[in-house]
Amino acid sequence: MTPTRTRAACGVAALASAGLLASACSASSQQASPGDPPASAVTIEISDAGCGPNPATVPTGPVTFAVTNAASAKVTEAEVQGGGKILGEKENITAGLDGTFSLRMEPGTYSVYCPGAAKDTWTFTVDGAAAGASSAPAAAGNTSLTAATQGYHDYVVTEVAQLQTATKTFTDAVRAGNIDAAKNAFAPARVHYESIEPVAESFGDLDPAIDARIDDVTDPTRWTGFHRIEKALWADGTLNGMAPIADELDADVATLKTKVATNTYQPAELANGASDLLTEVSTSKVTGEEDRYSHTDLWDFAANIDGARKAFELLQPALAATDPDLAQQLEARFTDVAQGLAEYRTADGGYQDYGAVTDTDKRSLADSVNALAEPLSQVAGKVV
Amino acid sequence: MELSRRRLLQGIAGAGAVGALAGCAPSAAAAADVVEFHGPHQAGIATPVQDRLAFTAFDVTTTRREDLVALLKTWTAAAEAMTRGVPVPGPAPSDALPPADTGEADGLAPGRLTITIGFGPGLFTAADGTDRFGLAARRPAAFAPLPALPGELLDPARSGGDVAVQACSDDPTVAFHAVRNLTRLGRGTVVARWAELGFGKTSSTGNSGGTPRNLLGFKDGTRNIEGADDAALGQHVWVADGDGAGWLGGGSYLVARRIRMFVEPWDRDRLSDQQAVFGRFKTSGAPLTGTDEFDTPDFGAVGPDGPVIAEDAHVRLAAPENNGGLRILRRGYSYTDGIDARTGTLDAGLFFLAYVRDPDQFVTLQRKLGSSDALNEYIRHVGSGLYACPPGTTGPDDWWGRALFT
Repeated sequence: MTPTRTRAACGVAALASAGLLASACSASSQQASPGDPPASAVTIEISDAGCGPNPATVPTGPVTFAVTNAASAKVTEAEVQGGGKILGEKENITAGLDGTFSLRMEPGTYSVYCPGAAKDTWTFTVDGAAAGASSAPAAAGNTSLTAATQGYHDYVVTEVAQLQTATKTFTDAVRAGNIDAAKNAFAPARVHYESIEPVAESFGDLDPAIDARIDDVTDPTRWTGFHRIEKALWADGTLNGMAPIADELDADVATLKTKVATNTYQPAELANGASDLLTEVSTSKVTGEEDRYSHTDLWDFAANIDGARKAFELLQPALAATDPDLAQQLEARFTDVAQGLAEYRTADGGYQDYGAVTDTDKRSLADSVNALAEPLSQVAGKVV
Repeated sequence: MELSRRRLLQGIAGAGAVGALAGCAPSAAAAADVVEFHGPHQAGIATPVQDRLAFTAFDVTTTRREDLVALLKTWTAAAEAMTRGVPVPGPAPSDALPPADTGEADGLAPGRLTITIGFGPGLFTAADGTDRFGLAARRPAAFAPLPALPGELLDPARSGGDVAVQACSDDPTVAFHAVRNLTRLGRGTVVARWAELGFGKTSSTGNSGGTPRNLLGFKDGTRNIEGADDAALGQHVWVADGDGAGWLGGGSYLVARRIRMFVEPWDRDRLSDQQAVFGRFKTSGAPLTGTDEFDTPDFGAVGPDGPVIAEDAHVRLAAPENNGGLRILRRGYSYTDGIDARTGTLDAGLFFLAYVRDPDQFVTLQRKLGSSDALNEYIRHVGSGLYACPPGTTGPDDWWGRALFT
C-alpha cells in the first residue's frame, strides 16, 4: 500500500456505486449543496438481531443515517454498502452510543451491513431519477463494456485465488520457522496482490492489514501483513513471533477472497484502477520504498503493470471504437514498459534485486511508466 | 580545485553596447500584460525581460519523427494559449478525466508570459553520429556542441538537452505552469532532463529602470542590447537568411550557463576588491572611470597604481571594444537551489542566458573571460546548454520548427 491508498479507495468506491458522490472516506463530513433536496433521515438501530434501516426506501439525494445501539454487545457497527464496497459506516457504536454519517445517494439498491448480527445484511433502496447522465450505470447495453467488467471480475477472482495459495506457501514457511523458504515465497505471493491492489484497497481496513508498510501504521506493535514479515526475514533475521502474523495474513486474504467473489465493477473503475496501479509504481516502486528490506520491488512493479495491462486489454475493444489512436498509443507504451522490465528478469522467472539497479536505469523505467500513465489517465473518460 | 585568482567570465555580460541606453521607452507590448506569440522572431528574446524564469531542457525519447512533429504542434498551440492567459487546450472538462490544464495559473494574469523554444545539437546528430530524425543535413555549420571552455566544471545532469524551453513571466507561478504543462504534454515523446527557476532578472533589454543587480550585488552587462534596437539585433542576435542556416533565418542561438556563485567568500571580500574585480562601483554601477551606470568605461585611464580598470577586471575583458565589437543579448536570472549539502553553502548564482547570431560569439568571450577574469575566484560554470531557436510562428497554422521539419 501507499500513502495514497485512502484517496484511491475513495475514487474506486465512489465510481463503483455508479455515481454515488460520497464514499466511505468522506461520508461523515459529506455536506449537502445548496439546492439539494432536504436530507432524508434514516435510523439504523443495531441489535443482536440485525440493523434494519428505517425507512428502508428514500428518494434520491442526501441521506443522513443515525446509528443507535440500545443494548447490543455483539454488534457495534453499521455499514452502507453498494457494489460490494463500504460507502459509509459508523464503527465502535457500543451499547448506549450513537452516531451519524451522511451520503449523497443516487438511485439503486444498497445494503446495510452489521457484522455479528443474526441477520447481518439488510436491503436499502434509493428511488428516483438519476441526477445526471454521468451517474447513470455505465455501459448499459454496451456488450463490450459488459464483457470487460465481467472479465475483470473473473481476473480478480483468479488472482486472489492464486494469492491465497501462494500466501499459504509463504505463511507455512513462516510458521515452520524456515527463513530461506519464506524469503523465496515472499515475492511470488505478493505479485497476486499487487496486480489487483486497487480492488483490495476499496475494502476498507483490509489493505492496511495485508500490505501496510511500517510508516503507514501509527502503532508499530499492531503492524501486520506482508511487510511486517518481510522486516522479520530480511532486517531482523528471525521469525520469532511471526506465526500469529502469518495466521492473520491468511485470514485477511481469505476475507479478500470472499469479498471479490461478489464484487462488481464499472468500466471507469477498471480504467481508474489501472491509473492507480501506475501511481503505485511511480510513487512507491520506483523509489524502492515498497519492499525496502527484500528489494523485491521489481516483482511488485511488474505485477502492478500486469494488473493495469489486464484492465486496459479488457477495455481495449470499447476504447478502440471510441478512440483508436489512444488505444494504439497505450498498446505501444505498455509494450515499452514491458520491454524495459524484461531486461531485469532472471533465469528462474523472477526479477533482479532492485538494490542493484542503477539510478540511471531506475530513471529510465520511471520515464516509461510516466509516458504510459499520461494517456492512461484519459481512458476513464472514454468508456463511461 | 585551486582557483587561481582571476579567471573566467560571469557576465559575458558586460558585452554591452557602446552607447548608453538608446530609446528606452517601454514598447507597447511591455505595457500590456499579453505579449504577442506570433511574429517574425520568437517572443522572449528581444521582449523586455520579465521578472521570473522557468527553464526546462528535454531529452527526446521517441525515435519517430512524426511523434516529434506532433508534439511540436501540440506545444505550439498550448504555448500560444498560455501566452494569452487561457488554459491549455484539451478535451471538454469532465468529471471522469483529469483536467487538460493543471490549473495553478487559473485566475492569474499572464504577466507578459513568453515561451521560447530551442533545439539542441543532439537533435540533429546523436553523440555517436546517428542521424536521429533525418535532420543531420539541416544542422547549421555553426551549430556544434560548445567546446570545453576554461572556468567550467560541468555537471552532465544540468547540461545539454535536445530541446529547451524558456518561459518568462512577471509571475513565477505562470512561468512554472508553462513548463510544467509542456512537460506533461510531452510525456512519452520527451522527458525533462534538467530545469532551473530564476527568481530575479539580472538583465534589462529595454526597461528604463536601470540594470538589475546580480547576487554579488553588482550591476553587470549594463550595455546590453536593446530590444528595440533593430540594427544591433540584426547584427548580433538574429540569424540572417544569408548565414547559411536556411530554416534558422530569423531565429537565434541560445546559450544557457548555470553559473554558481560562491557568495560566502565574496561577501567577506573588501569593497575595494569587489569593485576592482568588476571594474565598477558597487553602489552606482558606474565604471570605475565614471559616475553613472551607463557611462562608457575608459579603459585607457591610469592612476598611480596602474590602470583604473584593472587588466583582469570583468568589465574590461567583456567589453565589446576589447573584443572586436562582439556583443550578445543577455537575459539571465538569479537562481538558488537551496543549500549545497556537501558544503553547507548557498547553491546560488546566475542562470546566464544569452542570445547570439553565432555561438562563436559566446565561445570567444568565454575563452577570454574563463582564463583571465578576476571574477573567476568567485564563480564557476557548472551547467551548460546550446540551442538553436527557430524563427517565430506566422499564425495559427504555423508551429515551432515547421521550416526545419518540412
